[in-house]
Amino acid sequence: MFGLLPYIVKSLWRHRTRSLLTISGAGVALLVFCFVGAVQHGLLALTESQEAGSTLIVFQENRFCPQSSKLPEDYSRTIAKLPGVAAVVPIKVFTNNCRASLDSIVFQGVRPEQLKQFRKLTLQSGGWDGFTRQGDGALVGQAVAGRRKLKVGEKFTIGDVSVQVAGVFASSDAAEEALIFTHLDFLQRTRGQNEAGLVTQLEVHLADGANPDTVAQAIDTEFHAGPVATTTRTKGMFQADTLSDLAELIGFIHWLGYACVALVLSLVATTTVMSVQDRIKEHAVLQTLGFRPLRVFRLVVTESTVLSIVGGGLGVAAGLLFVGWSGMSIAAEGVTIAFRPSWSIAVQGLIASLAVGLLAGIVPGWQAAQTQIVSALRHG
Amino acid sequence: MALVEVIAVSKEYQSGEEIIRPLDGVNLTIGEGEFVSLMGASGSGKSTLLNLVAGIDQVTSGRIEIAGTDITQLSRGKLADWRAAHVGYIFQTHNLIPVLTAYENVELPLMLLPMSAAERRNRVGIALAAVDLTNRADHYPRQMSGGQEQRVGIARAIVANPTIVVADEPTGSLDDNTTEQILTLLQRVNRELGMTLLMVTHDTDAASRATRQLRLERSELYENGTRLAPRALRTA
Repeated sequence: MFGLLPYIVKSLWRHRTRSLLTISGAGVALLVFCFVGAVQHGLLALTESQEAGSTLIVFQENRFCPQSSKLPEDYSRTIAKLPGVAAVVPIKVFTNNCRASLDSIVFQGVRPEQLKQFRKLTLQSGGWDGFTRQGDGALVGQAVAGRRKLKVGEKFTIGDVSVQVAGVFASSDAAEEALIFTHLDFLQRTRGQNEAGLVTQLEVHLADGANPDTVAQAIDTEFHAGPVATTTRTKGMFQADTLSDLAELIGFIHWLGYACVALVLSLVATTTVMSVQDRIKEHAVLQTLGFRPLRVFRLVVTESTVLSIVGGGLGVAAGLLFVGWSGMSIAAEGVTIAFRPSWSIAVQGLIASLAVGLLAGIVPGWQAAQTQIVSALRHG
Repeated sequence: MALVEVIAVSKEYQSGEEIIRPLDGVNLTIGEGEFVSLMGASGSGKSTLLNLVAGIDQVTSGRIEIAGTDITQLSRGKLADWRAAHVGYIFQTHNLIPVLTAYENVELPLMLLPMSAAERRNRVGIALAAVDLTNRADHYPRQMSGGQEQRVGIARAIVANPTIVVADEPTGSLDDNTTEQILTLLQRVNRELGMTLLMVTHDTDAASRATRQLRLERSELYENGTRLAPRALRTA
């Protein structure tokens, strides 16, 4: 069949406008497929990562937006003494938009030494010393820095928070690259906040072998009768609860991904049917020369597969480049889902293109293989 | 020695309510190395007979044996394999693949046979030289005249060194000069390459170039005005 590849390519090139339109249609559809895949991938990474199960988030009871959760910072000392707790990181969260938004900016105020210890950040520019010394210094995730074109030394203001960029970081956790870290006390005292001694949440790192449910229950029991009751969940559960509305929406849009695949199927199948109908006589000639019906079938299926793979491949490449380059993310109530390219999405996209190409060729391939030679030569 | 034996062959097909029977118990024998022309009125069944011998149509009853193989017993796939190895078909309207060059068109039948690329190159070169089109190897059909296209069609038909070459009105769409060239070429294919040819034609001059001239009338074959073996009785 490889020997006939030039014939297949030339046949597709014969109707180049039709072929290129089909390829571009398949490309756009697969681009959307990859984009949807990247969103889902980001959501899964948040809720199913290893850290999501081994770290607890303590939030104020019956509060959902970070602006309304106000826990005493000194709860951290009490929690640190509970069995199974290795460390507690108080975090103040500020976001310019509690609702779901593609351009939410989420600040997290963390003590610099704890930030260095508990976050795997790799500075792309700037330095830790500058951040530590500078009260209003901020370490900006590279996705935000890219989106907002921020550089080290620049000052910027969002809402009531004004900071100076002390560094731009990359992280193994893509969602973190959509965050801005500041000093905890800076965010507590910044204009309009004035919440010294209060934090949004406490991040509890568990000792090896500790049972997350047991520790979470112990924390909530401890503060049940205190001034501010708490709700403690694993980080994964906390993020899933926080993003539940968004997760439903994302769950719905995965059907959009399937719709894109169906669109490619329809597009490629239509083009291939048209191509076969244009060449009824040509397929009869091939059979006269000795091409078996099965070989004619394979020729047609290969044509549809080439269209689908080329279009799909371009769409996958464009989709992943776009997602990677744009650094897009969506945030809701202080939790960020980062859209990230991945090999698994690329492989899924290519497998979908291959499957669609094969499927799209079956009916027209069958038609071509069943050509009645004499009738097609006479009337084709 | 008989190369082709058509034995009591009938062919019928339905056209609306009517059953058409262009061939009814036809017998024919063609010897190895013969150049046979087949004439007849429109609708006499001559092209049907040629298509049956070429293995691209199926008999309703009867047998066709070519070089010892009863091709009426072969499945569609096996029949395709048999055509690839044993039949060269020259069409009236050339029927070259428009997206392929002359070289690639001639090479196409060889892609179906177990053969190295070097052997294919060699055979295509010989076939194109035989039709005097070596210098047009890289041309596409749209870049060639009707006569040149037909010569490529002949090269494609002979390149695999088939058992029999069939030609369905090969000069039907050509002017007089080109017709002369093509007929001369077909004679050379028969004389110099020793290939057996069966040619359907309306043209008496063209038919006269063959070593045997047959006429088909009401399923009876005549040679030089004499009826050949009597029509077989239909058993079905």
